[in-house]
Amino acid sequence: MHESLLIYRNMRYLKISLVLVLVTGLLYVFHSPVGSPNGGTWLGYTLGTLAAGIMVWLSWFGIRKRSFGGPAMRMEDWASAHIYLGLALVVVSTFHSGFQFGINIHTLLYFLMMFVVLSGVVGLYFYIRFPKMLAENRAGLTTDIMLTQISELDRELSDFSLTVDDETAKAVYEAVHNTKIGGNLINQLTLYVADCPTMAARIFVEQSDGVCDESTRRKLLTRLTKKEGLLSRIRKDVKLRCLLQLWLYIHVPFTFATLAALVAHIVVVFYYW
Amino acid sequence: MKVLIRYGTRKSSGDLAIRDEWIECDSVLVGRGTECEIELADPRILLAHARIALKSGEVYVESLNSGSLSVNGNLVDMAKVSHLDVLNIGPFKVIVEPFKDESDLTISIELISPLGDELENLKQRANIGIRTIGLSKRKWSWAAALTVLAAALLGPMIISWLVPKAVVDVQRADIHDAAVAPTAFWTSGGISSSHKFFGENCEVCHERPFIPVQDSACTACHQTVEHHSDPVRFPSASFEDDKCQSCHKEHQGNQTVVRNDQGFCIDCHGDLTDMEPATTLRNVRDFGTDHPDFLPNVVIDASLNIMSREKSMSDPEPPTENSGLIFPHADHLRKVGVRHPTDGVIELGCSACHVPDEGNVSMLPIDFEQHCNQCHTLNFDTQLPGRELVHGDPEELFLQVSDIYNSVALRGGYEEPEAPAIIRRRPGTPLQDTDRAAARNWAEEKSAMILEGRFGKGQCSECHSLYDDPSTGSWNVKPVFITEKWFPKSKFDHGSHSDVGCQACHAAESSISSGNVLMPAIDVCQSCHGGEVASNRVPSTCVTCHDFHMDGLAPMRPIESATNRSNSRLAVVDPNALSHLSAGVQ
Repeated sequence: MHESLLIYRNMRYLKISLVLVLVTGLLYVFHSPVGSPNGGTWLGYTLGTLAAGIMVWLSWFGIRKRSFGGPAMRMEDWASAHIYLGLALVVVSTFHSGFQFGINIHTLLYFLMMFVVLSGVVGLYFYIRFPKMLAENRAGLTTDIMLTQISELDRELSDFSLTVDDETAKAVYEAVHNTKIGGNLINQLTLYVADCPTMAARIFVEQSDGVCDESTRRKLLTRLTKKEGLLSRIRKDVKLRCLLQLWLYIHVPFTFATLAALVAHIVVVFYYW
Repeated sequence: MKVLIRYGTRKSSGDLAIRDEWIECDSVLVGRGTECEIELADPRILLAHARIALKSGEVYVESLNSGSLSVNGNLVDMAKVSHLDVLNIGPFKVIVEPFKDESDLTISIELISPLGDELENLKQRANIGIRTIGLSKRKWSWAAALTVLAAALLGPMIISWLVPKAVVDVQRADIHDAAVAPTAFWTSGGISSSHKFFGENCEVCHERPFIPVQDSACTACHQTVEHHSDPVRFPSASFEDDKCQSCHKEHQGNQTVVRNDQGFCIDCHGDLTDMEPATTLRNVRDFGTDHPDFLPNVVIDASLNIMSREKSMSDPEPPTENSGLIFPHADHLRKVGVRHPTDGVIELGCSACHVPDEGNVSMLPIDFEQHCNQCHTLNFDTQLPGRELVHGDPEELFLQVSDIYNSVALRGGYEEPEAPAIIRRRPGTPLQDTDRAAARNWAEEKSAMILEGRFGKGQCSECHSLYDDPSTGSWNVKPVFITEKWFPKSKFDHGSHSDVGCQACHAAESSISSGNVLMPAIDVCQSCHGGEVASNRVPSTCVTCHDFHMDGLAPMRPIESATNRSNSRLAVVDPNALSHLSAGVQ
């Protein structure tokens, strides 16, 4: 679906954005203002107004996508245009700046905006790439099914551990009751959990050759190994789904910071006209 | 084959209730999916979980899609099973019995492990999904927006209202102590190098919020910025509707605010003769390719101080200077040298006479006493070796010579053999009354002879043109008037050209007449300098050599008095203190 946003309507919004970028570029190249090109020339003000308009419109996407059934544009149009106009904004605002950067509110706005666009590009990349990776990783299972399978293995592990020695039983008990899935942000983004009790139990059982009945040991080992496989699969699922959401937690707050900086930029420009 | 499936359900009493179902199929698919022969509605079962098949009388069970399958407790992918084996498909216990009663295969199936607390516990332990982390886009967005607004806009604005403005008052010379404005973070670009010293005090130029910078902010310091041309004669060049800011763009970084693009100038000067028919200037478009040759300002008549700029340097008949002076450069720059009265033969270079000013920009005027007199001593009488003719005042010269010989006649001791005895008498011997007339006669005759002879008239005429002055009845020296600046509308810095020899531009070695104007033609400059976009020459624009604001014209903008400005609460820079400041820097 998200790849289709890029080619939506025969890439209408890509074409619109390319025309915008091209016109902007030509104007910039043939514009020869007094001094260096900057935001204060007629072209500078024009591009600045255009860029501010695009920024506000792009931000409006957050409101638009919450309200369904808008009459004017379909959601796919909004999303596709959001992507391409967001990219065009990089060019328009750079030409608006006339490549003049410094330690000031104006450059702050520029870099906040660039960061928002960059986070959007990252988000788009996630949207294009992750759904396929998620499907491949899940192999037809849902998170609930994977959890259910793990709980089944846990139940069986508990059953089989009843007959083994105390130490093995303790390791298996830890694996059943203290294996964590997800957690805080770092946990959710971590694939390899170094102190995973299931891994510890598997290694313990692997190395406890001859301690308990061989067939029981084998039964425990196969289930622990299978659970480990399921865990790594579900952890990858958790990570991808977390990332799929996480970029928005950067994109949206920085959008608001950018809008605030935009207000400051405009007020300041005319305050010290 | 005919298959009997016996679904067993354990009642609460512990008895097993059995429901039989007969089907006809090749193999039995077990799973959650509706296409399965044995459809098990349990989340632990995959859509297609396992397959049970009868081959050559043996029952085979196979795990599909890695579904959980165990035989007697051992996880397997595929196994051959008999009715003695306990087969587990997920939480279901399955018993297979081939060829029992009327069926080819009987499958008994019972849920032995209902979904229990393990799953609930696991789900409780698993914190999956970004919402469980407690992040909030809304809170972060508010925080980010308010932080930026407070730090970048409202904070500086409020502080600048509360804190008294830094008055940059150079009369008190306290520029250095003026604090950085809280709004310095608002700068739209680096301050030009010449305004940097007060550049962090925004209000010096930005006098009132939301009002564009006014010309009065500029003229507060720049009081002597003249018009470009006479605004009455050439209204099109009065720039009345323009502000200082129209041309002088501040906040463009560490560079000058002076425009130096030639496009700005050729906008008018490219077709100036059409725009302003009254102009004496010629059209120009580019120094390298389309610039008229230089028209030197030469003296036409030294006695009436008449100068003219008519012939260009490359004219077939070059312009000639009529300064009234006779000075062949070639004679002085001879390689064999010139004779010095005391030092023998010496070789003169240009710098023997031409000395740059302190700024190393222009050459100082030639001074007779300093530059000529060493060789050209104005002695006139071998009997009076210490005496020289007075220079620069012919009238005084006649009196001087007469006075000298009258004095000699009075004193005596003049040893020239041709002189009368009374003149040659022992010095100090009083002159008899009867001899006075003769002595005075001798003095007058001798004076006239000297003045008219080799050491008088002859000596002067080496460098000066003489004429018979009817008012005095004797000869006189024609006035000398030397052009101070041959190219008055251009500026040239000798210092920055000091590595180029003088002869590269001034053909003095071959000049045998002081009428020669030893200034270069444009091609000499063009051999190094090109226009603004020259790629193989020094790119030079109009302001490399010309000024925009012309010396001698009236100020371009009216100057508001400093008092008014002080009273209007605005920051003021006092130009006197600026000069004080720059003096301090030097």
